[in-house]
Amino acid sequence: MAEIALSPPLSAFAALARHGRHGRAEGPAGVVVEELRGLALATVIARKGRAADLAAACRASFGVEPASTPRRTAKDGLAVVWSGPGQWLAVAEKGHPLTAGGADGLADALRGALAGLASVTDQSDARGALRLSGPRVRDALAKGLALDLHPRAFRPGDAASTWCALIDVQLWQVDAAPTYDLLVARGFAGSFWHWLEASAAEFGLEVR
Amino acid sequence: MRITCPHCGERGNEEFAYLGDATVRRPDDAGAARPGAPEFERWMDYVYLRDNPAGRHRELWQHVHGCRAWLVVTRDISTHAIFSVEDARAAALARPSLVARDAAS
Ligand SMILES: [Zn+2]
Repeated sequence: MAEIALSPPLSAFAALARHGRHGRAEGPAGVVVEELRGLALATVIARKGRAADLAAACRASFGVEPASTPRRTAKDGLAVVWSGPGQWLAVAEKGHPLTAGGADGLADALRGALAGLASVTDQSDARGALRLSGPRVRDALAKGLALDLHPRAFRPGDAASTWCALIDVQLWQVDAAPTYDLLVARGFAGSFWHWLEASAAEFGLEVR
Repeated sequence: MRITCPHCGERGNEEFAYLGDATVRRPDDAGAARPGAPEFERWMDYVYLRDNPAGRHRELWQHVHGCRAWLVVTRDISTHAIFSVEDARAAALARPSLVARDAAS
């Protein structure tokens, strides 16, 4: 059989995101969105009774302590996001050394460091990722997200698995600007994008 | 109705799926085919028969659009008042016979 050359991962939003300004044209954009491309993603699920050992091994190998509550912890471009009891999503930024040979390098590194402690599955092509910011980003998200993002209730580092406009999402707050990163299953990228464009239009949406 | 997931916090019930009666216990024996035998009646009760109390009840729910954990929700079926929400695994392990079974595996 002929060898199949795999093409590099395609952007989940490339066919949807029209760069520039949408909706209200006056004044500064209320919502700013950019796709986070080239992330390496992997789910890490603790084996029975091994969560504490997993946390120790993760700290020793990567310098990151996985949270036991809905939080994101990170070091040098590698983040671990709590996504359920004994479950985390590992996220390596584009260009992270672990992914030099490809996005699945993250899962390989985790599998090596956490052997016997966790089940690791590469998810790099399974999600679409957006970074959302702007002074009205909370108002736009509130149209679909039944989660209180007020700074009193949700702070930088906080993470949540929930749904937004009836689409399952995983999100976390990056900084107090506020900036949020939001992941959807890749197959829902189109539905989510259309909802976002419509919901942010009245505030002015800038697509970067 | 809002359910406070012990892992995620308070969320709307649309994030959860109802998964059945949390009070039933799987019989330990292998069962018997003969109606009238105690084993048969125990299995009949476990598989088919459910109480429908107008009041306090224990139910299994899953936080299916969140952390995906199975939960035991104790609530009043008439008023929707929720008394407690527990992690189902923790609640199951707290039951003596299952602790023994888990330790033996
Ligand atoms: Zn939950």
